[in-house]
Amino acid sequence: MAPEPGQLSSLSNPLATVDQLSTSSSQLDGVPADLESSLRFAGAQLTQAAGILLRLPQEIIAQAIVIFQRFYIGSEGGSFRINALKDVSAASLYMTAKISFLPQSTRSILNVYAYLLSPTSPLRQSPEGSTGKERPDAESYYLSEGSYHSARATLLQTESILLRSISFITQVILPHHIALTYLQTLGVLPPSPTAESSALATRTLAHLNTALFSPQLLYLTHQPPALAVSAIYLAAREIGVKLPSTEWWEVFDVDRETLGFLVVGLGSCGGWIQSERENWSATTCPLTLDELEREIKRRVVENG
Amino acid sequence: MASQGKSRWADDEEDAALEAQRKREKELKKKAKAEKQQRKLEEEGNLRRQKAGNANEDAAHDHDAINGDSERPSKRRKLSIDRDTYSKELPPAKLLRFPAPEWGPCRHVDNFEKLNHIEEGSYGWVSRAKETATGEIVALKKLKMDNANDGFPVTGLREIQTLMTSRHTNIVALREVVMGDKLDDVFLVMDFLEHDLKTLQEDMLDFFSPSEIKTLLLQISSAVDYLHSNWILHRDLKTSNLLMNNRGQIKVADFGMARYYGDPPPKLTQLVVTLWYRAPELLLGAEKYGAEIDLWSVGCIFGELLTKSPLLQGKNEVDQLSKIFELCGIPTEATWPGFKRLPNARSLRLPNTSQTTGNVLRAKFPLLTTAGTALLTSLLNLNPAQRPTASEVLTHPYFREDPRPKSTEMFPTFPSKAGQEKRRRLASPSAPKRGDAPRIAGEAADFSGIFANRDAEEIGGGFALKLI
Repeated sequence: MAPEPGQLSSLSNPLATVDQLSTSSSQLDGVPADLESSLRFAGAQLTQAAGILLRLPQEIIAQAIVIFQRFYIGSEGGSFRINALKDVSAASLYMTAKISFLPQSTRSILNVYAYLLSPTSPLRQSPEGSTGKERPDAESYYLSEGSYHSARATLLQTESILLRSISFITQVILPHHIALTYLQTLGVLPPSPTAESSALATRTLAHLNTALFSPQLLYLTHQPPALAVSAIYLAAREIGVKLPSTEWWEVFDVDRETLGFLVVGLGSCGGWIQSERENWSATTCPLTLDELEREIKRRVVENG
Repeated sequence: MASQGKSRWADDEEDAALEAQRKREKELKKKAKAEKQQRKLEEEGNLRRQKAGNANEDAAHDHDAINGDSERPSKRRKLSIDRDTYSKELPPAKLLRFPAPEWGPCRHVDNFEKLNHIEEGSYGWVSRAKETATGEIVALKKLKMDNANDGFPVTGLREIQTLMTSRHTNIVALREVVMGDKLDDVFLVMDFLEHDLKTLQEDMLDFFSPSEIKTLLLQISSAVDYLHSNWILHRDLKTSNLLMNNRGQIKVADFGMARYYGDPPPKLTQLVVTLWYRAPELLLGAEKYGAEIDLWSVGCIFGELLTKSPLLQGKNEVDQLSKIFELCGIPTEATWPGFKRLPNARSLRLPNTSQTTGNVLRAKFPLLTTAGTALLTSLLNLNPAQRPTASEVLTHPYFREDPRPKSTEMFPTFPSKAGQEKRRRLASPSAPKRGDAPRIAGEAADFSGIFANRDAEEIGGGFALKLI
């Protein structure tokens, strides 16, 4: 009895095609591939930071990050040189919150983004710099009434553009709850958690959240069950929890090859994020259109 | 996933039995054939174990599964034989492949040619259209963009989100979303169906037969059951949102009010569902409600199918509530515990005499069977907790008693109003208009043609198809 495709919609997401992964409209617009990866990472980081400041649950933040990634993909998708990363990040968070149980007003969204984009923002300062020492300069992130109205117009317009490029597919199924169910199925998450089992669950969820920042866009290339299984596999190895010695991942419809790929992908995230931090320690990653243009110009000059 | 039946984990007992048998056979073979060899291997293993030391052995044991334990041949040999025979007998696992739709920019509405306007709903304008490339007839719904303050209307987003994930034979399929020239021109492309139940019933001369009503109700309930099992509330079930094609198939449409919900139910707005189909707990201002409100609407639709006119036609919220109490009786603390604590119930003045608290559904539908009345009464139960779930409706005895549900292929067809088909009506002439009466005797009337060409007419066989 093959299940109807519609019945699996609670376990599966739309995935990026090969064409969408091989070209992007940012690259066609002259953004180097490595800078594009950095921009995607910066966008995910910005969305995550804004979500935390808005006290949104991780579910909504993760969905917003996936929507953000869906936008900047493929030759027909959005381009970093046309739609600013900060606007798309704000629009995806606003839109995702709107259809959730915790809608956010345009004002709170824009206030948070104004702060995060200001020079006092923790995102703007290098990790080694004197963060938190100086008093934050409140004037630098004050949103005047005039700039609020123009920012809101941009936000709403970007929302429409965003929705059109992702053909209104706003549904994002996350692997987090699937992973918890799988942990229970594997018998390593008893109803009354032990120190080991809760460490395993925490580690699994941590891997899934880290995967949102992956340059390989794991959430756009793999189905949630596969992500869940590989996060469990990796977390169990790290913590030393014994899982069945047989090929248990096949029970969850993940083959060995996918599992191997994803485990490597998840494992490499940490190193990649570290190298991103180091690369952008002197300057900050360009978040606005102007900053991006300056960065591209600088690279052209440097490379002769 | 384990319940899919494909997985080899599904039947543990059988597996265990098989494995036990395999072990027994293997042991017999070993005894007969390779006693010496085994002894040798064991000796070797013992030696190695002594060398490695006890501490190492424990560690190696733990890592067996992962490292493939190359240092310990004796143990490994046993394990690998076990595994080899095991995997040889198993076909490669059949893994479930998930559907992965793609996304890309929306197409333009110019790919469709508008044919005619169908109706205007609260959340959009619907028209019939033809896809130019394929010639397929579709329904195009243009979303209304009223609240420009919050950007893209949340109702539209929810409608698209819930419709897109709902794939069911009795739910209208959203094919794609297309856009117009302006940023806020958004159209939903959906299946075109000839009728909606409301217009159809208004134009129908006869009632639906009991067997037809059962088929309709089963289809509606199966759609509602699907939605609820996917945690979607429709929140606007009514006959005008139930589309029907000429093959007797019902499809639930208009998800403008639909949304995802959870358990425990989150705080939701009470301003949902068209008044005549609105459940009493909504009218009483309950902040938390669930799937039961859709079942109340199904009950109202059931009653409407029986009588061809909406069951509870209140003029406003208060009137609606009094009509409900008139029909279903007045709630008491026993029949609906806690209803007095609902926000709007405080202002309620209820008579306490037992004569007025009765349920008159039985009297209102005298032609309905006992099982049918029981179903209707349970759907229209004032207490939401007592209403059946959609899946319970599907298994109700009412559908198993005669007359059985009619198969959809056997449904009669009707002229489609949305498709601009007209019933050929044997219209009686209307009363003469005021003004000068036409003078029959004069030049105005020419009766010479009345009996002309009578001979040339064909003489029929004496029967004619009756137009319904």
